[in-house]
Parts: sequence; C-alpha cells; structure tokens
Amino acid sequence: MNRKHFLVSSGSLLASAILPSQVMSAANYEDDDELVRITPAYLKMGDIVGITSPAGFITLEAIQPAIQQIESWGLRIKPGTTIGKRDFSFGGTDAERAADFQQLLDDPKIKAILCARGGYGAVRIIDKLNWEKFKLHPKWIVGFSDVTVFHSHLSRNLGVASIHSKMCNSFPDDWNKAEPIQVETILSIQQALMGEKMKYIVAHNENNQAGTTEGLLVGGNLKTLESLAGTQSEMNTVGKILFVEDSGEYLYSIDRMFWNLKRTGKLNKLAALIIGGFKIKPDDPGEEFGRSLYDIVLEKVKPYGYPVCFEFPVGHQKNNFALKCGVRHKLEVKTEKSILKEV
Amino acid sequence: MIKTPPYLKPGDTIGIICPAGYMSFEKAATCISTLQHWGYKVKVGKMLGNESATYFSGTDDERLAEFQRFLYDDEVKAILCARGGYGTSRIIDRINFKKFKKKPKWIIGYSDITVLHAHIYSHFKTASLHAPMAGAFDEGVQRDEGGDLTVEDEFIRSLKNALEGRKTRYSCTAHEFNKKGEAVGELVGGNLSLLVHLSGTVSDIKTKGRILFIEDIGEYLYNTDRMLLQLKRSGKLDRLAGLIVGGFTESKDTERPFGKTAYEIIRDMVSDYDYPVCFGFPVSHGKENVALKVGVGHKLKVGKGKVILEE
Repeated sequence: MNRKHFLVSSGSLLASAILPSQVMSAANYEDDDELVRITPAYLKMGDIVGITSPAGFITLEAIQPAIQQIESWGLRIKPGTTIGKRDFSFGGTDAERAADFQQLLDDPKIKAILCARGGYGAVRIIDKLNWEKFKLHPKWIVGFSDVTVFHSHLSRNLGVASIHSKMCNSFPDDWNKAEPIQVETILSIQQALMGEKMKYIVAHNENNQAGTTEGLLVGGNLKTLESLAGTQSEMNTVGKILFVEDSGEYLYSIDRMFWNLKRTGKLNKLAALIIGGFKIKPDDPGEEFGRSLYDIVLEKVKPYGYPVCFEFPVGHQKNNFALKCGVRHKLEVKTEKSILKEV
Repeated sequence: MIKTPPYLKPGDTIGIICPAGYMSFEKAATCISTLQHWGYKVKVGKMLGNESATYFSGTDDERLAEFQRFLYDDEVKAILCARGGYGTSRIIDRINFKKFKKKPKWIIGYSDITVLHAHIYSHFKTASLHAPMAGAFDEGVQRDEGGDLTVEDEFIRSLKNALEGRKTRYSCTAHEFNKKGEAVGELVGGNLSLLVHLSGTVSDIKTKGRILFIEDIGEYLYNTDRMLLQLKRSGKLDRLAGLIVGGFTESKDTERPFGKTAYEIIRDMVSDYDYPVCFGFPVSHGKENVALKVGVGHKLKVGKGKVILEE
C-alpha cells in the first residue's frame, strides 16, 4: 500500500470543472504586507563578494571558475570558512555553516553573499542567524534552489531584495569553451549585481494567459516554498509576480504542491504567475498521471484571470537567468512573446 | 470536546469508496467479504474498479460526488477508503460537511486519507479512524481450505475492535531512542508528507497538548529532515504531550549520504523537548498498522521495557 503506488493505465484527463462561483475577473491586488522594501546597494568595482555553503558541500577547487570569472568583473572574492568543509552532505555542521553565513552577513565590507551551491540545508541554519547588522547594511544574497529559503525569509521578514541565480557550481570550467547560454546566464548575475535594469524576452507558449501587470517579483523552488508553509519564513504573495521552478518531481507531486500554494492562499491574489523550468520525473509504469504541467497549473489559476507565462528561463537548467527578487517588475504576456522587465 | 461518531452494531452498513487513487474491485474483495463476515453490510461505491483510464479512480467530480453521497447516506455508518494514493487534496475543499457535523460517521483510512483526518479534526472536532485499508486485508486475513475466512491478524482485528467501540490498547516493545514518560492528550497525526503538505492550509492541525503520531514511506532522508523541520518551524513539535513515531519504511538516500537514519533525524529534532517519545510504534505503510482513533483522548506510557497507548 505504497502512497505513491498507483495502479493505473495511461490516459488523459480533462481539467476538473471549475465552479462558476470560483470564476472571477482579473483584479489588481496591492501588496498587503507593511514591510519597507529595501534594495541593497549595487556593487562597484573593487567590492567584495563572500562565498559560502549554507547547504551542500563544495571544495575550494570547484569554486575556482566562479572566483576567476567574478574577479574578471572587477570584484574581489572572500571565500567563507565553509568552502572545503564537509559534514556528510553538508558544507560543514549546522553551527559551522551558520557561523560562516553570520560572519559574511555582519562584515560591512562584504557587499554580496554568493551561495556556492544548493542541495539541502539552508532551513537548518536560518533560525540561527541574526539579521540586526544585515538590516543596517543590507547586501545581496545570491543563489537558487535550496537558497529559496533565504529569498522567502527575506521577502517575508526583512523586505530586502535578493538575487535568484546560478551559483558557483554552474560556472563553466573553461570560459572560452562555454556555450553561449552559459555565458549569457552567468553574465546576467554580473548585470544584476552591478545594477543593470533587467529585461527578459520569452518566446510565446500557447498555454500562456495574456495580460500586462506590475508587481514585486518573488519566487523560487516550488518544493522549497511548500516546505516553508506555516513557518515564519513563508512567503506573502499578495499583489506580487510569483515565479516557481522545480526539478525531479513527479507530476502528482507537482500537482500536490500547487494545491498547497492554492490552499495557503498564495495563488488567488497574485499580479501574475511565471512558470520556469520543471524537469519532471517520469511517471512510474502503470502510474501515469494523465495531466500535463500546463493542465496542473491552469486548472488552479485560470479563473483568477491574471497573466501566466510558461517556460520562463529560470530553473535547474542551462537557461537560468538572474532574477531580482523583491524588486518591482513589469510583465507583459502577449501573443507573440512575453517580456519581463525591471521598472 | 471531541465528537465521537456512533460505533457500529451488527447489521450496520459500511461504505467503501475510492477518493484518491484507482483500485480494482478484486483488490478489495477480501476486505468486502471480511467486513461481511464480521456481520456488517457493505455498500460499494462505483469508483472502486471504475473503468478509469487515469491515475485516479475517477474524475474529481466523480470522486467528489461519490464521497458526498456516502457522507450523506444515513444508511452508511462508516466510510472505509479502499486506498490512498493521491487525490484527496483535489476534492477536500468541495466536500459539504454540513450534515456530517450534526451526524458524524467514521471515516477510515491512512496515507493520503490523512487529509481527511486533519480536516475533520481541525474543523469539526470529530474523531476518525487511521487504519488499514482494503489492500491490507489481502495479507492480513487467512482462509481455510474451503475458502472460508478464518483468522485475521492483529492489525486487521484492531480495525474490527475499533469499529465495535472497544477501547484502544496497544503495546509495543521499547526502542533504544525512546524517551520515557507519560502523556495524556488527543491523538492526532498521520502521514508526514501529507501533514506538511497541509501546513498553512485550512486543513492544518494544531498539535499543542496533543499526542502526535507520524509515519512515512519512500522519502529521501534529507526530505524527512526538511519535513520535520517544517513541523518544528510551524510550531508543531515544541508543545506536544507526546510523540509516536511509526514506520519510516523504504527510506532513500542521496549519492552523498545524509549521515543519519530517519529515526536518528527525528530523535535529534525533538532532543530539546522533555515529552515522551516512542519509536517503532505499529503505524506504517507496512503490515504493522493498527487502527488509531484520531482526535480521541489517549494515554501514552513510554516505559523502560515497553510502550502502551490506551484510550
């Protein structure tokens, strides 16, 4: 009697009927939290970027390509004490990871904290961190996947913007042999850190829901967002443009996570929804879910009437561009293409 | 004060439905004949063995309609969910419980059915039965040479006892990680993945002063850690009366080992609290799965040699 053991043959299933009472026209919701929104100072030549491992472990050798590349942008690097440390899957014990992160948070000379990689572990240290000095000297926290814990926590509690982007383990070993998409996505981190206004153009997807809207951009890894539900790091999405991505999940699990978003009130008052990459784990034989990602998303949100943009270049994939979380953006979803840009 | 639905009398009707995943009629045959053997009438929903081409036993509308029909059918005194799988979350907000509130009946199942237990407990303060489902009868019930039902194992029998209104009393051997002590409180819980999935929703449970039980299957160890942290960070672990840890079967590990077993993860997560904790309690996705009356007051005694849970 495995919970995940489904005795079903393949087939398609229509999206469930939506009750007329659930249908509403698009409405604009303002942010309903009372945080003052803070954008940390953008980086200037000579500024220092700290690198730390709040989750999985990584060696100093493995972050060399990132160090070289970031130094080529005119920035300096300070590797944290967790780089090269290992406690099973973690980059050091909880105490070591928290201390390293704390030290980078507290040091006013560090202007950005780049998480070396994701994995699992940020949530194990988040409640050990003291944000008092960070509040006085806000700085950029950079990363994605497990680092969604920080993006969500900052958005909910501190109102400080952060950067959702690739991390050290995605920098190409040999910059000269890197594919154009690798170069572009890595350079998007530089653009975001140095204060360029971001703009992304996305090809049309027939499942998109057209519309134009503005709001603070928030989001991250769907599984991580679900794991924060009910906690003090849970994200408030009212009036915001939410993006989500995930990797390695079954369709049924993605469906269940979207129900969690919906049932925790995170979908009904969005400005817009952006769906990034979803590397879907294939259904086990005989357990075919029979609904696509599009079905799963649209049956939940179509009645709300806000714009929905699929296949946005964010996620556990090569085309994973830097996004400024907590910064106001305009999203235009049109029939020929979609544009997300910082306003 | 918790409302307890009426216990069953011989001749009462038990409804069998499939609110989530598909199940063939054959897989439920032993369950049906056993319930009849116990003296109950059985009413089988159309979703059991429904010619569904999908993962689910029927469309959301079909599963919802059937659940609603059985919930409102006065003849049906208890609803046994044939199996879990996934799908209760898709219909829970559309179920009308108005009549159920006044005339509650037993809702029976586990795994995905944790959604119903949590929802019913948090909204209607009504007891339900976390118990073996139809598939468990195949293994848990034996037949003699003539094909007649003979004896059911203690786990299947525990469901019969619960339905008849006998007071719960279970014991199991002590586990080295147990924390001794006595606790009194309402019993709440179920499948850990589903409990965290409900976190922050209208079906979320309060655990303060309660005895919480958890079990899971097939989860990565790091994810078990993350789920426990979610419970902890949402305030569900700090003020428990007691904690019952059931099976964490078929745990998976990542390429870089997590470094702890599921039980070690749980032990460490609650090490700061001084309420009693027991491990290896017979509630699980395995064969060892006793009927537990969710919402009903229980006493948990974690002793040196053994653990006793009694109503």
